[in-house]
Amino acid sequence: MTVQVILKGFGEVIKEVTFRIRRYDPEKDTVPKYMEYKVPVKKGMTVLDGILYIKEHIDPSLSARYSCRMGICGSCAMIINGRERLACQTQILELNKDLIKVDPLGNYNLIKDLVPDLSKLFNNHKSVKPYIIRNDNPPTAEYLQKPEEREKYAMFTECILCGACLSACPTMAADDLYLGPQALAQAYRYIADSRDMGFEERLNVLDSKHGVWRCHFAGACSEVCPKGVDPALAIQLLRGVLMKNSFLGYKQVPAPVGKERPTVVEGLKVLEEKIKESEKK
Amino acid sequence: MRESKIMFLQYLTGLLILIFGGLHFLALSFLTPSPDKQLYVYQSATNHTLVGGALYYNYVLEIYKNLAWAAVFELFLTVVTFHAFNGFRIILSEQFSSPSAGKVISYSMLIIGLIVFIWGTRTILLAFLG
Repeated sequence: MTVQVILKGFGEVIKEVTFRIRRYDPEKDTVPKYMEYKVPVKKGMTVLDGILYIKEHIDPSLSARYSCRMGICGSCAMIINGRERLACQTQILELNKDLIKVDPLGNYNLIKDLVPDLSKLFNNHKSVKPYIIRNDNPPTAEYLQKPEEREKYAMFTECILCGACLSACPTMAADDLYLGPQALAQAYRYIADSRDMGFEERLNVLDSKHGVWRCHFAGACSEVCPKGVDPALAIQLLRGVLMKNSFLGYKQVPAPVGKERPTVVEGLKVLEEKIKESEKK
Repeated sequence: MRESKIMFLQYLTGLLILIFGGLHFLALSFLTPSPDKQLYVYQSATNHTLVGGALYYNYVLEIYKNLAWAAVFELFLTVVTFHAFNGFRIILSEQFSSPSAGKVISYSMLIIGLIVFIWGTRTILLAFLG
C-alpha cells in the first residue's frame, strides 16, 4: 500500500515578490545599479531560490555564488534587506515583505553582481595560522583532550567562513589592515585549544596595530553570524589572554599524546612520502 | 612596545582622568578661594538659591601654588595628554591604514603630544612659582 503525503500549500504560488538586486559588471559598468525582478513565491522558497529563478527565467546574466544550499558551505552570504544572511537559509515568506533588497557583502571588493572577492577574509584567516601547532616530534597517536577542554572553544569551531561578520564589522569598513572578527575568533579557537602550542607564533599578528585591540565591540559580527558563533566574545577573551601575556606571561601546556597507534605512524609516513613527491614535482 | 601594553595604559589613563579630573573640578569649584563664594542661601526648607562662587583668575592661581595641587594638575596633564594623543593615533591609524602612514601618525602624535605636555607643564610651573 502506498501512502501519499500531501504537504498543504507546497507548490502553489502564494504571492509575487519584487527582488531589487544590486548589479555590477566591472567590464561594462562604472558604478553599481539596482534592477528589479518579479518572482512568484511558493511556500518553502528561499532567497537563493528566488535568485536562481531570476537567473533561469528572467536574466541569465545575474551572478551569485552558492554551493550546498543547506547553510553549510557559507558561499551564499549576502545582504538581504539590510542584514547579512545566508540566502539559502532565508525564507522569502519569513521576511514578510513584498520588496526584497539584495546586496553583495560589504567591505570586500566586488567581482560581479552578488559575488564579492573574499581574498581578504581568507588571507586574514591564513595569517593567524588556523591549525594546531606543536613543537614536539611528529605524533604517533592522537592528542588527548577532555570534553570540558573542548568546551572552551567549541562554539568557535562552527565558523563556515561565509564572511558575513567582516561585512557587518564597522572597523573593517574603516581599517583595511584590520584582521577582522573571523580571523580573531579563529585565532582564539586555536589558542584556547589544549592541543595547541602556537600562541607565540600568532602573537605578532594578534598583538599589533591592526590586531585584536582595534575591535570597537559593536557586536555586529555576532549579531549577523548565521551559525551562532560569537566572534565579539572571542575577541574579548583573546584580549584577556594577550593582557595576561603582557604582564604575567601566558603559557600553553601541551595536551598529552595517547597510546602509540600504528595507523597514525604509518599514515604519517605516507603523508611524508607524498610531500616529498610533490616537492620533487 | 606591544599594543596590549599601550592599550593597558590607555584604559588606565581613562580611569585616572576620571579621578584627577574629579579632583580638578573639586579644586576649582569648592576649594578655590573666592571673596564672594557662598554656595547656598537657604530661604526655606524647599527653596534655596545658588549665589556667588564666581572664579577669579588670581584666586584660581592661588591653588596652583600648593605643591600637592600642582602635582595633581601635572599628573592630570600627563594622563590626559597620553590618553588623547594615543586616542588620536588609534583613530588616524584606522583611517589611514598603510604601514608607512602608521609610522608617520605614531611619530607625529608623539611629537605633538610632547609639545602639549611641555607647554602644559610650563604653565603649571609658572603658576606654582608665581
